[in-house]
Amino acid sequence: MHFIQKQFDKYRKHFEPGGRLSLLYPFFDATETFFFIPGHSTQQDAHVRDSLDLKRYMSFVLVALAAPLLFGIYNTGYQSNLFSGQSTAIIPVMLRGLRLVLPIILVTYAVGFFWETMFATIRKHPISEGLLVTGMLFPLTLPPTIPLWQVAVGISFGVVIGKEIFGGTGRNILNPALTGRAFLFFAYPGNMSGDPVWVAVHQAKETVVDAMSMATPLAMAKLTGPGDSIETMLMQADYSFMKLFGGLYPGSIGATSALLCFLGAGLLILVGIASFRIILGGVIGILSAGLLLNLLAGESSPAWFGLNPVYHLVMGGAAFGIAYMATDPVSAPGMNASRWIYGFCIGALTILIRVFNPAFPEGIMLAILFMNLFSALLDYIVIKIRLNKRIPNV
Amino acid sequence: MKTIRNRKGYDLPISGEPSQDVAASIRPGRVAALPERIPFIKPRLQVKEGEAVQIGSILYEDKRNPAVKFLSPGGGHVTKIRFGKRRVIKEIIIDLDSQEKKIGFNPWPTSEIGAVKRSELVKSILNGGLWGLFRELPFNDYPDPDSLPSAIIVSLDSKEPFQPSPKAYLDARHDLLNDGIRVLNRLCQTVYVTTTDKYAPSQQWKNLTTHQVTGPYPAGDPGVLLYHIKKSSKDNRAWTISGQNLLLLADLMINGHYPIERTIVVAGSGTPTPQHITTRIGVPLTQIAGNSETAVTGKRYIAGGVFNGYRSRADAYLGFLETSLTILPEGDSREMFGFARPGLKKPSHSRAFLSALSTAQQPMDCGMHGELRACVNCGYCADVCAVDILPQFTLKSILAGEVEEALAHGLLDCVSCGLCTYVCPSKIDIQAQLKAAKEAYYKEIS
Repeated sequence: MHFIQKQFDKYRKHFEPGGRLSLLYPFFDATETFFFIPGHSTQQDAHVRDSLDLKRYMSFVLVALAAPLLFGIYNTGYQSNLFSGQSTAIIPVMLRGLRLVLPIILVTYAVGFFWETMFATIRKHPISEGLLVTGMLFPLTLPPTIPLWQVAVGISFGVVIGKEIFGGTGRNILNPALTGRAFLFFAYPGNMSGDPVWVAVHQAKETVVDAMSMATPLAMAKLTGPGDSIETMLMQADYSFMKLFGGLYPGSIGATSALLCFLGAGLLILVGIASFRIILGGVIGILSAGLLLNLLAGESSPAWFGLNPVYHLVMGGAAFGIAYMATDPVSAPGMNASRWIYGFCIGALTILIRVFNPAFPEGIMLAILFMNLFSALLDYIVIKIRLNKRIPNV
Repeated sequence: MKTIRNRKGYDLPISGEPSQDVAASIRPGRVAALPERIPFIKPRLQVKEGEAVQIGSILYEDKRNPAVKFLSPGGGHVTKIRFGKRRVIKEIIIDLDSQEKKIGFNPWPTSEIGAVKRSELVKSILNGGLWGLFRELPFNDYPDPDSLPSAIIVSLDSKEPFQPSPKAYLDARHDLLNDGIRVLNRLCQTVYVTTTDKYAPSQQWKNLTTHQVTGPYPAGDPGVLLYHIKKSSKDNRAWTISGQNLLLLADLMINGHYPIERTIVVAGSGTPTPQHITTRIGVPLTQIAGNSETAVTGKRYIAGGVFNGYRSRADAYLGFLETSLTILPEGDSREMFGFARPGLKKPSHSRAFLSALSTAQQPMDCGMHGELRACVNCGYCADVCAVDILPQFTLKSILAGEVEEALAHGLLDCVSCGLCTYVCPSKIDIQAQLKAAKEAYYKEIS
C-alpha cells in the first residue's frame, strides 16, 4: 500500500498546476481516488461526514449489474453456439460469450473515458463516477452482432449529447446510456433491430440455421395473429415462462434475464441506492396496463390483448430498464410522489408502445426517455403542492 | 406537557459520550473574550491594552445597538487584544488577579419581578451584559430590545452530540430556573420550555416543561419546536434561550452579580476522559482539554457541537456562547480502496455499509470520506431534514440566484442542524451554503 502511495506522490508534481501534464490532472485524480479515498478533512460546517461517497454509491449499481453481466456473457455465447451448431457446454459457451461481449465493453469504457477526460480537462473539474455505470449499462442493451465502430459512436453520442453538453454528471435530463442506444437505434436500424441481429451466428452449418427461428420472444409475439394465444406460440418455440424468466433466449446482451434484474433491483433497494418507488411503480404500471388490455380483449382483438401481464415483465428488456435505467437518480424525479407516477407511467407506456405501435417491438427504451422529459414537470407540480402547505417564514 | 414527535432526523452514532459526573476545573490564570464569535455583531472596544477590569465591567458593545454590551468575564488586567484581518477583534485576553474584583448589579427580589415594568427588566438585562444570550429565530441574531416576540422558547437540553445535560448544569437549582421563567414571562406572555427524551427528567423540571419533543436529533432545537407548533407567519419571530443561559440570566437578576461560571462538556474520541466540567467563560482550552500530554497534532478542537461549532485551536479560549469542546481526529489520512470495503466500522446513515447491521457507536473523525461531486438528486438530504425543507432544491435555487423560490422552499425555517451536509454522498456543503444565503438575506433586509 505504501508502495502505491509513494508512486502517486512521486508523480503528483507533474500533474499539479505548473507541471508538464497539469492539463491531465483530472485523469491523475481519477486514478488516484480509485486506489485511495482522498485525505481531505471538512473545511466548513458539519465537522463530521457520512462514510458514503458517490464512488461507492455508483459502485453498488455495478455490483448489482455483475449477475446480469455474467449471465449475459453466458447467454450470448449459448445462443451463438446453439444457432451455429456448436457445442453448448459451459466452457466453449463462456469463451464465445467473452469473445463477443468483452470487446464491446472495452470499447465502451475506452471511448467513454476518453470523452470524460477531455471534458474534465477542458472544464477543469474531476472526472465523475457516472461513467462507471453508464459504461456498463450501455453494452448490456446492445445486440451482440453490433459492429464495434457503432458501439464507439453510440457511447460517444450518449456521453457527449446525453450528458456532457448539459454540464456533466448531475445535470443531464436524459439517461445517457439510453440516449446512446436510441441514437444507434434510429441511425443504424439495420444493426439494431430485426431477427438476425440478436444472435451472433458464426461458422454455421447450413441446415441448422434454417431449422430454428432466431426471433426474440417479442418479435414472435408481434407476429401472432388475432385470436391466438401468445403463450402457446411461445411454448411451441420452446419458451416456457420459466425460461423467459431465467433469460435463456435471444435478445440484447445483458437484458434478457428478468430474474437477475429483479435480484439486482432487490439488492439496490436493500442498500437504499435505488428508489423502490420507481421500481415498484414500474412493475405496477406494467401489470395494470396488461390487466386493462386483458379486460378489453375480445374474440378478434390482437393477440397482445390476451397476454398474461406477467409475461410482459419477463419478455424483452422491461425488467432491465425498470431496475437499472429508470432508477438513474439524476434523470428521475427527486420527489417521492413523483417517483411513483414516473415509474407507473414508464410501465404503462412500455405496454402501450409494445402493443399499439407497429414500428417498435420493444417500448421500454422510448418510455423511459419520454418520462425523463417529464421528470422536471412532475417534480414542479409535487413541490408546488407541498410548498403551498408550508407556513411562510417571510 | 405536550409531546411532539419529531419524525425526521438522525442520531449520530458517535462514540465518546461524556459521563454525567461533573468535574471541577482548576482556576485558570487568564481568560479571554472572543468578540469575533458572537454572530452578526460589530464590536466596539471599550477597553485598551493594559487597562484594569473587574468581573462585570464593560469590554465591548455592539455598534449597531450600543445598549447591547458584553462584559468582562474576569477581574484583572487586559494584557493583549488580538486583531485579525481587517481589524476583526479576535481575542481580548485578561490576566486574572489572585483576588478578582467584581461589579454589583441591582438585584430584583423574586417577589417584585411580577410588579416591575417590562422596560426596566430589559434595561437590567442590557446593563448586565446578558442580552446576547437571547437569540431570535430565524436568523440567530440577538433580538431588538424594543421588539415584542411571539414567544420565548427555553430549550433545556439538546440532542446534538456532547452538549451539557440538564442534571449537570441545573444541579438542584430549580428555583433559580423557576425565577428565570418568571422573568421571561414578564418579557413575553408565551413562554415554552422544551426538552427531549434523551434524559430522564427530574420531577422539578418536569413540572416546568411545556413541550417534550421526542425523536432523533435535532429534536431539541427550538427552531424544530417552532416549526411544529406555529400556526401562522406571525409566530415566526420567536426568541430562544438555552436552559443554562436562562440560569445565568436569573442569577444576574435575582442575585445581582455577573455570572461567570459555566458547565460545559469536553468529549469526543480525541480526549481520553469525556466528561462534564464546571469552569468559567473564556477559559483556555488547554485547561479543560483533559490530558495535556495528548498530542495536539492531528486533532481538531471544535468549540460548540460537531454540527454547529467552529474550528478552534488548542491555544484558544472558550467563548461566551459555547458550552462544549469536542476533540476529534483530523481524519486526513488516505485509505486504500476505501470505497470498496465492507465497512463494519464505518458509520453511515445509508445502508450501504455493514455497519448498518448494528447500532453500536463508532469513533468518528473530521474526514470528508470522499470528494466533492455534483448533486445527483439522491434525496438523502430531504429524508433527514426535520423541518421538511428540500435541501437539494433549495440549494439549487440559491445557486441559481432565485431568492424568492428559496424563501418559498422554507430557507428561513432551516435550523442549521447540519444533517443534510452529513448525509450527502456528493460531499456538498449544503449547511454552509444555506447559512450564507440566510445571512445575506438578513443583511439585505435589516
